[in-house]
Amino acid sequence: MTHPLYGSTAIAGVGLRQHKRGHSPLPERSLLVEAVIDACEDAGFDPADVDGFVSYGDDKNEPVRLMPELGTKELRWSASVWGGGGGGIAGAFGVAAGAILSGQAKAVVIFRALVEGASGRMSAAVMAHHLNDHLLATGMTSPAQLCALRANRLFHHHGVDPAIVEDLVRASYHHGSRNPEAVSYGKEFDIDALRQSRMIAEPFRLFDCSRENDGAGALLMVSADLAETLAKPPVYMLGCAQGAQAGWGDLLENDDEALFATAGMRSIARRLYEETRLTPADIDVVQLYENFDAQGVMSLIDHGFCTYENAAEVIRFDNLIADGGALPVNTSGGNLAQGFIHGIGLPIEAVRQLRGESSNPVPGARTCLLAGGPGAPTVSSAIFANEVL
Amino acid sequence: MSRFDGPDAPYWEALEDGRLMLPRCSACQTWIWPAAHRCGACHADDVQWVEMPLEATVFTWTRTWHRFGLTEDFELPFTTVLAEIAHCGIRLLGNLEDPDRVDPEIGQRLTGTIGSTRTPDGELPVINWSRV
Ligand SMILES: [Zn+2]
Repeated sequence: MTHPLYGSTAIAGVGLRQHKRGHSPLPERSLLVEAVIDACEDAGFDPADVDGFVSYGDDKNEPVRLMPELGTKELRWSASVWGGGGGGIAGAFGVAAGAILSGQAKAVVIFRALVEGASGRMSAAVMAHHLNDHLLATGMTSPAQLCALRANRLFHHHGVDPAIVEDLVRASYHHGSRNPEAVSYGKEFDIDALRQSRMIAEPFRLFDCSRENDGAGALLMVSADLAETLAKPPVYMLGCAQGAQAGWGDLLENDDEALFATAGMRSIARRLYEETRLTPADIDVVQLYENFDAQGVMSLIDHGFCTYENAAEVIRFDNLIADGGALPVNTSGGNLAQGFIHGIGLPIEAVRQLRGESSNPVPGARTCLLAGGPGAPTVSSAIFANEVL
Repeated sequence: MSRFDGPDAPYWEALEDGRLMLPRCSACQTWIWPAAHRCGACHADDVQWVEMPLEATVFTWTRTWHRFGLTEDFELPFTTVLAEIAHCGIRLLGNLEDPDRVDPEIGQRLTGTIGSTRTPDGELPVINWSRV
């Protein structure tokens, strides 16, 4: 039997507003409203008819507050996926689909907005969600340090070559350099910039870390049937999984030993593939949430694209780029090189890629995996496609 | 919520008193961390706090060079270990004495003393580890 989520909903429109951190021309909520209107215009859908909203990562914009500016006729559904980081990003699409398929809402916007003046530094907000006296007493007050602990275990215990991350970073900047919306647009990336950037928390240097932008992103999700009547070709959701397996979670760094140097996404990936009856070989392109590059590597391993043992054979620049790679990753530049609005640029690129609108088109791409924030206690992933296979 | 209000209050009280105490299920002997009032393995609600020696091994580590907020009491760079406490497998974050910046090795043996960290909300007890 086909899973109920399989091909039954679709993304009909996307909107993205991105600015340098601290340089948004609009307040946070206004920027979000503009992104929602952009997504509706993209779909040819009246923003007043949007009746549901879903976010993640402790977004501060309660949907009911958007109603006056959007002219919302009636709000029927609002929800957020738990968690302070980007772990819930893909799960937000599953929550939206749940509302649509159960008849509780018809047109749901998945969004994330972040303007420093309103929400402060994102890294500080994520940390405020998690901070406790065990962390304070040891000066472990940032996501970078906690992810660094896992990265060192990946490299020094599991034997993954630390140089592997360079290929992921280079591929991201390669894509970003050709994306007019990316912070790295038009820039030649020299790997020495990474190697010589200042140390943050070993093994992470500055360029191993995603850096924050001001911005807002919105995606309009409707039933597959409705999407087929709208302006743009539908991008169907084939599956979505969120949660955590036993031995993973908010455990004061006491995750199961076998899971410690992972993204925490093995059970998510397993369920996603089972429910869609797809395998890693069926995935044509990946939008990979990489808060830190080593966590991106762990996520690729969890999703079955490689193992600790053969990671260096798979995570190679030539293999990760849109022009000819077998595993094109982050074709907009991703969080590292396009810009970081808590990951919302990634599903937007998934949609653009599957519509053939990407700056780095993958020829013939039919499926795209959205791998959500790795290393978060609650994690999630989703698969999108431009046809129901 | 203060640290004396949570299920790990006995941990903090003991540490301030100069001792390491960790919780274990009296029924099935499973070590429980993060601390909880009930055992998730057998569902017994009889948790016993056991004093442990300050002996551990390095599970993983990082050395911090950037001045993150709320690290003002630390001299940069500073090295942090995730220490696996001997005889129970519970992992605790702690400071590592690292004056010569020698990278720790996973599995390396550690011995600890209890110190304290100054924070905006007062002193917090912390374990300072050194390599055996
Ligand atoms: Zn028990």
